[in-house]
Amino acid sequence: MKRKTILICLIALLAIMPMGMAQADGHCEFADYTITIGGLAPLSAPGAVAGGVAMDWAFNQAADDINADCGVQIDGVNYMLDVVTGDSEGSPERGQAVTERLIQEDGVDAMVGVYHSAVGLATMGMLEANAIPTVFSEPWNDNVSANGILEYDGAPPRFADGIDHIFRISPASSMVGSVVVDWLLSLGVEDVVLIVENTDYGQPAAADEAERFEAAGATVTKIDVELGTEDFVPILSRIQARAEAPDVIRILVTGETSFNLTQQMSELGIAPSEDTICVTNQIAFQSDQYWATVPDGNYCAFNRVGIIPSLFSEAAAELNGKYEEAWGDLIPSFAMASYDAVYIVKDAMERAGSYDDAAAIVGAIEAVDIELSQGRYYFAYGAHNPDLPEGTPEFMWHQWPDPIVTVMQYYEPGQSGLEAAVVYPEVYQTHGTSYIVPGTTP
Amino acid sequence: MVIQDTLFVLWLMVAGPLWAAVGLFLLPNVNRGRKNEDLIPATTLKIAGVIGGFALGPVGLGLFYFEPTLIRRTTLTIGVVLTVFVTSQVMVRVVDPHFPSALWLLLAGPLWAALAAYFIPRHYRDEEADDQNVLTAAALGGFAIGPLIFGLMWKTTPKINRDWMIILGSLGAWQIYTLFAIQNPTNPCVQAPFSVTYLTQQTANGVVIGCIYSLMAVGLTLIYSVQGIVSFAHGQLYMVGGYFSFYFLLHAGNLLSELTGTEVQVNPIWGIPVAAAIVFLMGAVFERFFLKPMHEGLIERVSEYAILITFGFGFVIEYTTLAVAGPFPQRTDRFIDIRRFTLQRTQITDDFAFGPINIIGDRAFAMVVGIILIFALLYFLQRTWTGRALRATSQDRQAAAVTGINPTNMNTLSFGMGSMLAAMSGAALIPIFAWVPWVGAEMVGRSYVIVVLGGLGSVPGALVGGIVVGIVEALGAGCHPDPSRGAAYKEAFALVIFALVLLLKPTGLFGREQL
Amino acid sequence: MEYFRQIESRIDQGIGRRRLGYVVLGLVILFFLWFPNDTSQSNYAKTVFISGFFYAIMSSSWALLAGIAGQFSFGHMAFMGIGAYAAGLIARDGIVFAMLGIAITPESFSALGAIIIGTLVAGLVGLVIGWLLLRLRAAYLALFTIAFSELFRIMMLTEYDYTGGSNGLSLRPLLQIADVDTARQVEYYLMFALLIVCLLAMHWVANSPIGLFLRAMREDEDAASALGVNVVRYKILIFVFTSMIVGLAGAIFYSDVGSERIIPEQLEVLQMSLIIAYAVIGGMESLIGAAAGAFISRYLLEAMREVVITLPFGLTTADGGDAFVWETGAWRFALFGVVMVFTLRYMRNGLLYPFITWFSGRDLAMKETVSKRKDDDDYADAPLEADDE
Repeated sequence: MKRKTILICLIALLAIMPMGMAQADGHCEFADYTITIGGLAPLSAPGAVAGGVAMDWAFNQAADDINADCGVQIDGVNYMLDVVTGDSEGSPERGQAVTERLIQEDGVDAMVGVYHSAVGLATMGMLEANAIPTVFSEPWNDNVSANGILEYDGAPPRFADGIDHIFRISPASSMVGSVVVDWLLSLGVEDVVLIVENTDYGQPAAADEAERFEAAGATVTKIDVELGTEDFVPILSRIQARAEAPDVIRILVTGETSFNLTQQMSELGIAPSEDTICVTNQIAFQSDQYWATVPDGNYCAFNRVGIIPSLFSEAAAELNGKYEEAWGDLIPSFAMASYDAVYIVKDAMERAGSYDDAAAIVGAIEAVDIELSQGRYYFAYGAHNPDLPEGTPEFMWHQWPDPIVTVMQYYEPGQSGLEAAVVYPEVYQTHGTSYIVPGTTP
Repeated sequence: MVIQDTLFVLWLMVAGPLWAAVGLFLLPNVNRGRKNEDLIPATTLKIAGVIGGFALGPVGLGLFYFEPTLIRRTTLTIGVVLTVFVTSQVMVRVVDPHFPSALWLLLAGPLWAALAAYFIPRHYRDEEADDQNVLTAAALGGFAIGPLIFGLMWKTTPKINRDWMIILGSLGAWQIYTLFAIQNPTNPCVQAPFSVTYLTQQTANGVVIGCIYSLMAVGLTLIYSVQGIVSFAHGQLYMVGGYFSFYFLLHAGNLLSELTGTEVQVNPIWGIPVAAAIVFLMGAVFERFFLKPMHEGLIERVSEYAILITFGFGFVIEYTTLAVAGPFPQRTDRFIDIRRFTLQRTQITDDFAFGPINIIGDRAFAMVVGIILIFALLYFLQRTWTGRALRATSQDRQAAAVTGINPTNMNTLSFGMGSMLAAMSGAALIPIFAWVPWVGAEMVGRSYVIVVLGGLGSVPGALVGGIVVGIVEALGAGCHPDPSRGAAYKEAFALVIFALVLLLKPTGLFGREQL
Repeated sequence: MEYFRQIESRIDQGIGRRRLGYVVLGLVILFFLWFPNDTSQSNYAKTVFISGFFYAIMSSSWALLAGIAGQFSFGHMAFMGIGAYAAGLIARDGIVFAMLGIAITPESFSALGAIIIGTLVAGLVGLVIGWLLLRLRAAYLALFTIAFSELFRIMMLTEYDYTGGSNGLSLRPLLQIADVDTARQVEYYLMFALLIVCLLAMHWVANSPIGLFLRAMREDEDAASALGVNVVRYKILIFVFTSMIVGLAGAIFYSDVGSERIIPEQLEVLQMSLIIAYAVIGGMESLIGAAAGAFISRYLLEAMREVVITLPFGLTTADGGDAFVWETGAWRFALFGVVMVFTLRYMRNGLLYPFITWFSGRDLAMKETVSKRKDDDDYADAPLEADDE
């Protein structure tokens, strides 16, 4: 008897699945049709959950803001906008399946998002085949926007006709790597230690940076670590035992693993120190999390992708305010880009005068010229301007050329990311110096 | 904070001998209250007191005092390690060991090992001598000292005990070390002027983190010895202990700040008892509802049920925490406001210097907390009525029940306390590591290694196992020939040891299943 | 006389139910065969079903290994990975027998050949591991297999020069069909056929004398051994058998049938724990129960991703919002864990067990024998309804 009751309860628990979508009520008259945009973000492990959650927030915030402003206006009709977020779990297989579902079951008119490059690469074929206008907002792999890549890691040719529907507003990893390397080389470093996570983010980025350093004559030591490792003291002691301290330790590790590594590095006095520059991961910009977990991380530099705080436009500051209210921390670049991506699609639909004519929307995205939170968006090379000049890398196709990549540095403990010094490139310098020596203030 | 040279010298000159003297007088007391047949020779105790006190200070004495069974082996191990360490350093400096040793290892070592492994056990059988462990000893000995092993084992056919294995094993390890040194001449573990400091640094790293690991492993061992089950929820209880501490400190800090009107930070040490209390309750309630039926015969195939049910418990805890606390990393303030302890560089001879050695301040503190808690647990188990009742239950359920101990309550107590120990180590580590809901996974894997290595059910075994695992990980990552892969394989080193122990000696170093 | 008539009627009842059971089973199979022809279903639904079939194979073979043979292995995913990685590496690099001076080029392997070799390699590793595990029981065995699978995962992740690291390794595609819809259709039937074949093979093993020996060993190894069961042989046999099944499933699934590439994340303990949880919920001692458990659990977990429960129904707060909004996405694994724990505690044989026993008519027979035996043993006042716990 007892068992039966419990069984019934269990079944009832599983069966309770009433659907209830929160509808934004408003002052606008909306058409019956709701435009659906698919978002792709990692919302559960083993993906980068923290990143995915922020992206999901940005998609929904953008949709709410657009709907509060009477939605997408096409030929005088207001359409409500809905973003359906699919959980990629950071795995290419899942990413593909979810994309397929978004296209076939949710009938999305466009796609935005993607965090992991592997997911981006895996879904491109499907997006092309189904002619879905897509704006990627975070994958960095160079190949994501390369025109007509014929082969991806042994897979059969897929994009013989080139990439028609996919755009990217995040930087290609070559664009990011070059800024940090140029900065370090301008400081005259010769002995570089790269600590790299063994993932599809870390390894290609490290290979790229190592190549650049070596081309400039610096020696590079690469150290692989596994994500999720907590105790790095043994391997850091090994660095410390070298006869000469390295000039720079560059951390290409994400998430809490990066925080642990940076904190232990500074506790042991390896870096930042008089001899060694500490360059940590870009998540250090999220200053609340950074200082909570890396209390000794003062004077660490990090690269910042996306607009720098001193250049925050009104829109960017407003968005950052909303994010801080929701999560109590500064907005990461990929949330900003994800927010903008939704707006780019909305803008293109309005100008194309259609929400389902893929060719017209793609044409409109290629011709985009709009000022959003990260700055002015435009695409230099696409069907409207198909010939890449000699020497321009392949990935510039359908690539926003201007994502700002800077190097920032904290110089006071507990400092907000908004106040950290921008040290490179020189045009964006806020404190008139390319490097703040530990122990000083600019 | 920097420890000056003088302090180090002071330890060598004053504290080492002081503890040795304390040991000399303290340890013979172990015999007090023992029956005649259990008496340990006074000389052994005195030697152990001196060596243990000198090398390990109060830790060694405490260990010996509460666990006299460890004395022989530990003293011997310390002795062999010190000897091998010192001779290896002398050899690397004075004699060039490379040529003969390499040739030996590549050609002769395996050959003699094979010969010895073939002939000696046969000879033992012909002589009708006790041939337990002889095969292993012969192979090890042949590898390490070549034909000499025949001289040692042929004539007298000695009984091969643990001491033999330790000595032969150390010699074999020394041979492998030499080969390693030849293959990787620039490896910091063997490169002459730095290696002493470097190895000491890595060993210190390992010991510090190992003591912290042990605290968690002790919980597993406690549950196993009383209930006979391995808790697969241990990692999640560790994780949730950290979170309880975190939220308690956060709210207590806010509350006190509000009351006093100034910014108040509560030291994370207070989070430990709070997390311990909450998780003790969690564990005890879980035991009552889900594990108790197991002992009442309501469940078939108990051991598998136990694995699955604790596993499910952990699953629920982990994903509930993820839903409540979110995936963002957290951390509390530090215990002490000292970034690191540094032992300064000391020039000993013209071309040989020792130091600097760095230990992170908070870790040193957490290590002390861990050791105190483990000794408190040992005290509880040995000297209090409830503790003795627990031990009695772990040794013989029926007999304990006859003497008026309620085994059901002991089960609940053991699971609650085991969970509590996991939570305590979580609360002790949240000031040190960034905390996320999946933080338990890596840690619990290590605890399994530790308890199996130390012998499931042995509390001192868990302490020793923890230190061994800490050192193996530190040296593994520190000495791996390919510096770029060493860190990525850090977890793997312990797992290899684990697999080997499970296969060769599943009962572990201190093999026993009762407390 | 009365007694025999009673038994007779029960037997009739049992046969009737069993027939009904076969009909239901047949209907389920027919549904799966018909499903891809339903034009209203998207390719995504087929994808979900394809991976459902794959996990059903994983769970049911684990049920055979752990539930029936009592070998509590956490290394099941690792054997799957070994099959897939071996197939992939061989199709990419070929084999070199350095001692013999023979090299087999990658081109000489067809996709099918690579899959067969992957299966054999998984079986071979299963043989070695099974042999190593002979001495270990219950918790020790679980711990050893966790260590083994973690080591394998770390190696696959770290030796990225050979294995592709976290980018994963692509296997040689088994089916090269250009048209997406046709491809999905074929993949669906291939995976379903594989599931049926694996289930039949495992069913045959479980109900052969081998299965009987395995159950006997699970209950009491020493007693079984004393009765002349060759414990060593059957333990290793079952390990090799299940390893080969999952190796085969892995090699086929990742040959671009269900997924393009095998990634080390797939081998994490979490994935393994899901397999175990599926099997527990479906029923550890029933192959079909475990398979159905995997299929249904995956479907529900998938469905719960985006469910928003709004409570109380229809009520709103003053400012027009819902009084209580609960998004199950974040909680679905926690709920899943709760279901698993309660299943274990109160429904040891899985949530599907009542259906399976009812259809097999086993409950009738069981009551009969139990009450009969009790009568024989002079338990005059024993209750007729036996407590089957």
